[in-house]
Amino acid sequence: MAKFLEGDHLINEQQTLAPHEALELHEMLNFKTLCLSKSKLMQGLVFDQELKDLMQKDVQQSLQAIADLQAIYGHAPFQAPVPEFRPTPILN
Amino acid sequence: MTMKQATPIKMDDLDPINALNMPEMADMTFAMDFLLRAKEGVRNTAAALTETASPQARAVLRSQLRQGVALHQEITELMIRKKWFHPYELKEQYQLDQLSANKTVQIAQMKLFPDDTRRKGMFDRTPDEHIGGNKA
Repeated sequence: MAKFLEGDHLINEQQTLAPHEALELHEMLNFKTLCLSKSKLMQGLVFDQELKDLMQKDVQQSLQAIADLQAIYGHAPFQAPVPEFRPTPILN
Repeated sequence: MTMKQATPIKMDDLDPINALNMPEMADMTFAMDFLLRAKEGVRNTAAALTETASPQARAVLRSQLRQGVALHQEITELMIRKKWFHPYELKEQYQLDQLSANKTVQIAQMKLFPDDTRRKGMFDRTPDEHIGGNKA
């Protein structure tokens, strides 16, 4: 595991994120998720093929971006095992 | 489900006049949304980058920032080429701004959807009804 000094702190690849860093990733991940759903769904509404292709490019880039953000968000101090379904019950 | 038109009736969503230039108007709106999302993404990513010290997080955010700037440029160039966006002809941009605002206000005043859109009956059950409200 690569280790290097930055200031007085020893940093390695698996270090837990600082709380404020984790919050930035929370915001980035949710923003990317919303953008992905919009770029995916709007492709069903647009008429222009070039615009649709550009949205599909955004979908592909967003999939990679979300995977990268998820991997780093996994080092949040409040990370927890992810259940298959939402943890709070859905009642009417 | 009854569809009631708000009075006075000027036009409704079935009026053929609404189909005039509709694809172009719609695409311009979607492209504008796309452009604003790309722009917001660049700003959000840059802000996140300046709040982050972790080298791994910075590397991911930096590459996403570059990608976001490139995508923003592609959308801008497409919109200029399609004449959906006029950064240099401000009078044309002004006209587009006013027209799309007016058109969207007209659409917003139409009765497009039934009053009851809950559609709960289409699903077989409440997923967690076996749990009981006291544990919810």
